[in-house]
Amino acid sequence: MAEKDTMYKCLNPVGIQVPVDIFPLAPRLDSLDGKTICLSICGEPDITIPLEKRLKSDYPDVNWTTKKSYTPYPVQLSDEEMKTCDGLIEGVAW
Amino acid sequence: MTIDFEDQDNMVKQEALTQGVPNARYIHSSRTLPGPEDVDNWIKQVIEAMTRPLTEKEKESGRWAPPQPRVLFEGTLEEAETFYQQTKDIPFPVDAPLAVYTDGFPIRVPTEKRVREMLTGTSHKPDEIITYLSDRPPSRGRERNKGNPVLFQPMNWTATVEKVAINAVMAGCKPEHLPVVLAIAQSECGTGTTNFPSQAVCLSGPIVKEIRMNTGVGHLGPGSTANGPIGRAYQLMAINLGGAVPGVNRMGCHGSPLNNGGTCYAENADGLPPGWEGLNEELGFKKDESVVMVQENIGGGVQGSQFSPGGYRAFQKSGHGGIARRFDVKGKPGPHNWLEYIVPDLWATREGGFTFIMVPEMARHLYDFGFKTKDEVYDWLYKQSFEPLKRYRNRSWPDRSNNGWMGIERTSGKYWKELSDDYMVPVINDPSDNCIIIAGGEEEACVQLGGGRGTAYSIDVWR
Repeated sequence: MAEKDTMYKCLNPVGIQVPVDIFPLAPRLDSLDGKTICLSICGEPDITIPLEKRLKSDYPDVNWTTKKSYTPYPVQLSDEEMKTCDGLIEGVAW
Repeated sequence: MTIDFEDQDNMVKQEALTQGVPNARYIHSSRTLPGPEDVDNWIKQVIEAMTRPLTEKEKESGRWAPPQPRVLFEGTLEEAETFYQQTKDIPFPVDAPLAVYTDGFPIRVPTEKRVREMLTGTSHKPDEIITYLSDRPPSRGRERNKGNPVLFQPMNWTATVEKVAINAVMAGCKPEHLPVVLAIAQSECGTGTTNFPSQAVCLSGPIVKEIRMNTGVGHLGPGSTANGPIGRAYQLMAINLGGAVPGVNRMGCHGSPLNNGGTCYAENADGLPPGWEGLNEELGFKKDESVVMVQENIGGGVQGSQFSPGGYRAFQKSGHGGIARRFDVKGKPGPHNWLEYIVPDLWATREGGFTFIMVPEMARHLYDFGFKTKDEVYDWLYKQSFEPLKRYRNRSWPDRSNNGWMGIERTSGKYWKELSDDYMVPVINDPSDNCIIIAGGEEEACVQLGGGRGTAYSIDVWR
């Protein structure tokens, strides 16, 4: 067999993907009224400041709690907050 | 519920998949509309996304485990060359075909035989998982403790010694380069952020001469069969072991020419002035240890030399020319501190450390001027970086890095908002943020990489 016709096994350079467990999305709420929703925001204030204002003014029946950072990394909710919050809006920007 | 820019759709989808929520809901915000108008456009969608019942697809659970064959292709070398050069159309914001397994240039096909030969460059077994060899700070919620598998960025993939060797073959490396490439793999081969991230690696120690790296004329350019392939191996590992794809999860807006083929350079230890430590010693290793410093995020690119070499010589030899006029040393021979020519404008538009790659003669001038150690140069540079708070506040990144000016200023221990406008603050965090590398030819030139000291990894542990 000519060298150009020699068959070679060529190896895979791609990294190893550890299997990922796929989760359903968290159940949705019927309504936000009377619920405690945590607004965990970080990043670009040009968006996050008006968002916070509008949520509080347009949805006054929601008990809004806010976690805020100007860094790209959201402030983690405590275990207690995770138990008491009905929902979470997490804004990440930068 | 995710809010992100339209051009980052691919990134959001991929990140959601790897986090186990591929059907996460998200909407687009605007890059250009003022915040109140932007929010007005989608605030109802945010509320609706929290209350609209889940679809059957959104309720799905299971396990994502894509096939990962060891042998990727069987055929002739010519067929394999074509196979490894295959492209995939990447939609907006790229809208062009990009190579799947390569950096766009042809590669050396990683046949089993070639990979086996490459593996003779290390005593480590092919199936050994690359793990962290020391505790590292957590990143993006991931623990990075000693012994844990290294998670290559951005996909958090892992790799074996053989996987690294495959990429080394593709890059054109020789077996004696493999310990260097394995050390680089310790870094996770990140590709930085969204603006202008560049990567480079710098070698120090006996390995530089062992593998005959070019530390002289043109050391940052083409030609060396050590510098070039090792730099390329970083980028191929980022592509293959990290899964980095422009427009999908590698969002550097312009890319970077430093990454185009990769950048590897090395210290010329023979060019160090007396008493100046080599990079390996500076980074906590011994003089006879070989290390690689990985610079993952050179956000400021490369700044070229700011003066003519002839003008520099006139300035140092006899105090003539423009530099001498600026320093008011006309007619006075050197040694003069030439760094004053580029400082403080160095930080005019960018904070943080720089890497100064200077030729031996210029380092010697600094030594003769009075800097008997590198640390003395670093301390001097740090002191030059101070500026009034009034000016510092007018910079961009500190809004973010100082958490909206909510916290405490480091040098005073006081809240930012308590400090007066004329309080002097440094634009680099620490003297050791800067880095000096001796390399290059005989012409008097210094270039600055817009990013400081990287993280060092032992090469010797991978021999």
